[in-house]
Amino acid sequence: MSSAMASTSANLEPLFSFLAQSYTTIENGFNRVPGSAVIARYVRSSHQNDPGRTLLELVLAVFAIWTLLQSRTRADKGDRHFIQFSEKEVDELVNEWTPEPLAEPLSPQEQAELDSIPVIAGAQGPRPRLANTGKTVLNFTGTNFTGLAGNDDIKNKAIETLRKYGLGSCGPPGFYGTVDVHMDLERDLADFLGTESTILYSQGFSTVSSVIPAFAKRGDIVVADRGVNFAIQKGIQISRSTVRWFDHNDLKSLEDVLEGIAKERKKKKAPLTKMFIVTEGIFEKDGQMVDLPKLIELKYKYKYRLILDESISFGSVGRTGRGLTELFNVPVGVDRSAKQSPSHWEPQASQVDMLIGSVANGLASCGGFCAGSKYVVYHQRINSSAFVFSASMPPLLSVSASEGINILRNTPSILSTLQENVRTMRSVLDRLDCITIPSHPASAMFHIHVRSAPNATLHLPGASAGKPSNPNSIVPRDPQQFDIELEERLLQEVVEEALSQGVLITRARRLRAQEMVEARPSIRVAVSAAFSKKECEKAANVIKAALVKVLGKRR
Amino acid sequence: MPAQTPSPMAINPPSPTPSMFRKKKSSSSLGPMSTAASYLSAVRAADARARARGETPLATPALSLSSSVTASSEDTILDEGEESYSDMLTYPSVPPTSEQVYTTVHSEFGHCSNDEYKYTSQHPPGKPVKPQVEQDPPYYVLFTTYISYIILIVFGHFRDFFRKYFNPGEFKHLVPHDGYAPITSDFDSFYTRRLKTRIDDCFSYPVTGVAGRTIVLLERDSKDYNITFQPTGRKVRALNISSYNYLGFAQARGGCADAVEESIKRYGVSACGTRREGGSLDLHSQAEALVANFVGQEDSLICSMGFATNSTIIPALVSKGCLVISDELNHASIRFGVRLSGANVRMFKHNDMKDLENLLKEVISQGQPKTHRPWKKILLIVEGLFSMEGTMTNLPAIMEFKKKYKFYLFIDEAHSIGALGPHGRGVADYYGVDPRSIDILMGTFTKSFGAAGGYISGSKTVIDRLRVRSHSHAYAEAMTPPVLAQVIASMASIMGVTPALPTSTSAGTITKSRMIEPEVKEAYPGRALASSLPSWMDLPPSVRDGTEGVDRLRRITFNSRYLHRGLEKLGFIVYGHDDSPIVPLLIFHPGKMAPFHRLLRQYSTPIVIVVVAYPATPLITSRVRFCVSAAHTKEDIDTVLEACDYVGEVLDLKHGEGERWPLERITSSAVELVHMERPSRD
Repeated sequence: MSSAMASTSANLEPLFSFLAQSYTTIENGFNRVPGSAVIARYVRSSHQNDPGRTLLELVLAVFAIWTLLQSRTRADKGDRHFIQFSEKEVDELVNEWTPEPLAEPLSPQEQAELDSIPVIAGAQGPRPRLANTGKTVLNFTGTNFTGLAGNDDIKNKAIETLRKYGLGSCGPPGFYGTVDVHMDLERDLADFLGTESTILYSQGFSTVSSVIPAFAKRGDIVVADRGVNFAIQKGIQISRSTVRWFDHNDLKSLEDVLEGIAKERKKKKAPLTKMFIVTEGIFEKDGQMVDLPKLIELKYKYKYRLILDESISFGSVGRTGRGLTELFNVPVGVDRSAKQSPSHWEPQASQVDMLIGSVANGLASCGGFCAGSKYVVYHQRINSSAFVFSASMPPLLSVSASEGINILRNTPSILSTLQENVRTMRSVLDRLDCITIPSHPASAMFHIHVRSAPNATLHLPGASAGKPSNPNSIVPRDPQQFDIELEERLLQEVVEEALSQGVLITRARRLRAQEMVEARPSIRVAVSAAFSKKECEKAANVIKAALVKVLGKRR
Repeated sequence: MPAQTPSPMAINPPSPTPSMFRKKKSSSSLGPMSTAASYLSAVRAADARARARGETPLATPALSLSSSVTASSEDTILDEGEESYSDMLTYPSVPPTSEQVYTTVHSEFGHCSNDEYKYTSQHPPGKPVKPQVEQDPPYYVLFTTYISYIILIVFGHFRDFFRKYFNPGEFKHLVPHDGYAPITSDFDSFYTRRLKTRIDDCFSYPVTGVAGRTIVLLERDSKDYNITFQPTGRKVRALNISSYNYLGFAQARGGCADAVEESIKRYGVSACGTRREGGSLDLHSQAEALVANFVGQEDSLICSMGFATNSTIIPALVSKGCLVISDELNHASIRFGVRLSGANVRMFKHNDMKDLENLLKEVISQGQPKTHRPWKKILLIVEGLFSMEGTMTNLPAIMEFKKKYKFYLFIDEAHSIGALGPHGRGVADYYGVDPRSIDILMGTFTKSFGAAGGYISGSKTVIDRLRVRSHSHAYAEAMTPPVLAQVIASMASIMGVTPALPTSTSAGTITKSRMIEPEVKEAYPGRALASSLPSWMDLPPSVRDGTEGVDRLRRITFNSRYLHRGLEKLGFIVYGHDDSPIVPLLIFHPGKMAPFHRLLRQYSTPIVIVVVAYPATPLITSRVRFCVSAAHTKEDIDTVLEACDYVGEVLDLKHGEGERWPLERITSSAVELVHMERPSRD
C-alpha cells in the first residue's frame, strides 16, 4: 500500500514542483507590486483576528466580480420564462417567423380623409388661395388669432435677422445654440406675462409633453382634466406618475378628487410627494374655458402645483392677449420688488406654477414656452428633454415673435377686434338649433357639434347624474354617446358646402384610436382679428346656411 | 463621381451676387491693420482685373454690399465689437488671386480654393467594414478618473452638510416647505449642483450672429460660482468647431439666404396651424417630394422639430406586441418615442454586430415575454452616425441580418444625412446600399442643411400611414415657410438642378430654356428637377449645376479625416470613424474638461468647443467633441491641431498608442495624411 502511495506521489512529483514554482513566481510578482506588503499584512492580520471575515470578504469579492460581468443587455436570460433552444431550433424559429407589415395600406375612408386636407398656395393669412382650385377663400382654420401672419413689420424684422444670423441655429441651447435673440424673446415673454422667467421650446406641441415629465416622476401625483389635449396625455404617460382624472371642466369634481386623494394619503400615511394639477386654459378639444380663480383657490387649499396649458388662450384672450391670467386679472408672477431673498432660488409663490403657451399659435411664429419662477425654468434647462436634446428655434422666428409681442402690447385694438369678431360670429351661430357650441363665448377658437338626436340626450352627461366618476379612469361615468362616423361625415359635408361658398373651415382632425378618450366630432372655427366685421358676418351666415342645409336634411 | 473641376466657390465668374466684402475699419494694433489693408487691396485689385475683362460691368464692385442688405445690418454684423476679433478669422491668410472672387463671407464660410484639400466620402467598395476599435487609456488614467469623481462627490456632500447647517436659506428650494414637496430634492439635484455647476461656464454660452465657420461669443462672467452669469458686454469672435453646421449652410449670405428672404416676402414667417387643419402649404408638398427624391425613397413626411420627428412618429409605427431593438447609445428622442409607443425594448451593445445577432436569435426564438407569442413586428433602430461617438453604423452587416431575420430597419440619419456619402445622401450612400431596401430613413434639417425640423421617409404606404397616425402631423404646428425655403434651397444645392441653366440672364430665358429642354428625372442619386422647386426660387448658377454642393461635400470629408488623423498623430485618443465629421477627443478626467474649454476659448485664435461628460457619455469617458464643417479651411484645422497640441501637453492628454508625428509634419503633409490607408489595428 505504502509502495503504491509512494509511486503515486512519485508520479505527481513534477506537478508538485510546478505548483511550488508557480507559487513562488506569483509571490515574487505580488511582492514587486508597490503597496503589496500592506495588503498582505492586512489580509494576514484580519484572518488571524477573525477567519470568518476572510470567507465573507471572499464571497463579497466573488459577488462583485460576478455582478460586473453580468451583461446589461441580457437581463431576461435568468428569467424563469426563458426557454433553452438548440441552435437548430432557433434557426427554425427564425425561419418560421413572419412579421406583420410595417404599415397597413390606407382604407378608402382614410384616403378620403387625407385627400380632404386643404392645401394653401402661397402665403397663409385671412384670405389665402387654395392650391387645388386657385380660389381665394376666407380662412377660418389657421391659428392666426391676432392676425400677425403676413405683418410687414414682422417680415422686415425677420429679413433683417436673416441677414445677421442666417436661418438655423445649428445647435442645442447647451452647445452654442443659445442666441441672444432667444434670450431676448424669453425676457420679452416673461415681461409680457409678468413671470420671473421663461424658457423657450422649438415646437409648441412638444412643450407640454416635455414639461410634465421634467417635474412629475414616478410616485408623484398628477390630477388632470378628462378633456385635456393629446400632448398633455402623452406628457402624463411618459411621466409614469400616479394619475387621477376629474370631470371635464368641472371644478366641483376636481375638489372631490383632491379631497379623496388627501383622505387616502392621510389614511396610508403616505410620504410627502410632488402633486400637480394639469389642465388647459381654453381646451383645445372643445373651446371651454377653465375658471382660473377657483382653480387657483383649490390649488392653494390642497397644496398642489398648477401646470396650465394656455396653447389656445395665450394670444387670444385678455385685453392685450396675455391669456387667461389677464382675463381673470390673476397676477401670475411674483412681486418683483421682493428681490432681496437670501438665496437665488428662493421658492416664490406664484399663482400658476408652470404656464405653458404656444408661440406658434399666439404670436404666429413657431415654438412654445413655459413661464414660471426662476427655479422652475432653471430646472427645465437641464431636465426637460425636448429642450435639452433639440436645436433651438431659428433666430429669425424668435425675433418675429418678439416683434409680435411688441405689436400686441402697443395695439390693444387687435384683441378687442378679435373679441368683436368672435361675438359677431357667435351671435349668428349660437341660435341655431341643429348644433351645439360647447365653447366659451370669448374663445377665439370654437367648436360646433351636431346636436344629438332627442333620444340620445335622455341621459345627461356629466356629474349631475349622481355618483361621481372613478378618478382612476379617464372614462367618465356617463360618457357622451355619439356616432363618430356619421357625425364626421355630416360635418365634412358642411365643410365642403362652406368651402364652395368661399369660406374655409375644417373639422377638428383627431387621431382616432390613439386618444385616451375619443373627442366628439366637431367643426373647428378659428376666428382672426384680421377679418372685418362684414367678413365675419358673411362667413357666419355661410356656415349657418351650410349647417342648415346638411343637418336640416337629416331631420 | 464628381469631376475635378476647379472649386466653384473659389473661382466664380463675377456673378450677379457681388462679393460680400466690405471695408473694415482699421483696428488699433499695427500688425493686423497691415494684414487687413494688404488683403483688402488684393481683393480690390482682383476685382478691378475681373472688371477690366468686361464680363459683368457692375455698378458696384465686389466690395459693395449685396443689394438686398440694408447698410445697418451689414455694419452690425461685420464691425460690431471688433476689439477682440482675431484677424485670421476674418481674413484669409492668403489674399485672392485675379482668378478668385469668392462669394462667401470668410467668417461664415472659409475661403479655400486648393483642390488638394478635398476628399470624397465613400466606403471603398468591396472592402469589409472594419469594426472601429476604441483605444483604452492607461490604467492610471482610469484609476485617477474614478478617484476624481469620488473626491468631487465627497466634497460635494461635505459642502452640502455644512451649508445646510450654516446657510439653510440656500436649501430652501430643495426641502419641503409649507406642505409642498420640493421640485427636486437635494439628493436628486446633487450631480447638477455639486458637479455640473462647477463647469457651467462651458455650457449654454450665449452667442450672436451666424453659427458658421466662426461665431461671436457674448462674453459673460459669474460672481457667484456659476449660479448666475452677467454679460460683460464684450464680444469675441471665435473659430466655431462645435455647431452642427456640417455642410456650412449656416450663412447669412448666398443663394440659400436669398431664397429664404424671397420666401419671407412671399409667405410671411408662419404656416399658422397644423398640417391637417389648414396649415399645409404648397411649399410643404414641394419639400416633401424633394426630400424623398434626395434620400431615394418613395415619399417623405416633414415635421417642424427634429426631436419630435422621433418622439412623435415612432409611436405611430410600433405599439404593444411589437419589439424595438435599439442601440444602447441611441439618442434621447428615440428613447422618448419608444417609451410612448408601449412597445417592448431590447438594447444591444453599441455597434456590436455579434451581440445584435445573438439578441435577434434570442428574441425571435423566445417571442414575447411570458406568453411566448411571436412578435407582431421587430423594428431595429440605429443611428447612421452616432452623435457622441462619431461611430458609423455597420450598415452592410445589418442589411445581411435584415434578410435573414426579417426585422424592419429604422435609421436615424440626424447627423449622417448630408455629411456622409459621395452624394451627401447619408450612410446608405456611403456604403452604396440601395436606400429603398431600408424601411425608414429619418433625418433632421438642423445639421447639414442649416435649417430646423426633421423628416421621415419610406415607402408610400408607410408614409401615408404616418400621415394618418403620427402625432405631430395631426397636432403640431406645421413647418414655417422660411425653414422650408432653406431646406429646399440647400437640398437642391447638394443635388444640383436639372436642367441647369445655360446662362443666368433674365427670368424670361429661364422659363424658355425649361420649355425647350425636356426634363428627365435622374435615377438616385441624381439631380433635382427644376420643376420640383418653387418657380420663384432663383438659385445662382453654381448652385444649380451642383458644383457648389459637391465642393461642400468634399471639403467636409477632407477636414474630418484631417482632424481625426491629425489628432491621432499628435497622440490623442480619438473615437469614431475617420470620415465622420464628429470627432470626439477623449479627456477622461472630469477636472480637465473646464480647463480644456477655457484654454481654447482664450487661445490666441479663440476656439469654441463642446465638452461632454456623464450622463451624456459613460462615466469615465468625458470628452471634447469637435464638429467639423465644410466651412472650415485647412488652416482652421491646423489651428485646432496646434491648440490641441498645446493643451494636450498642459493637461497630459496624449495617451494614444501608435506612431506620433510632430505638429509641423502633420500640417505640412496633411494631404498625405488624409489619403493614407489606415493600418489595420489588431
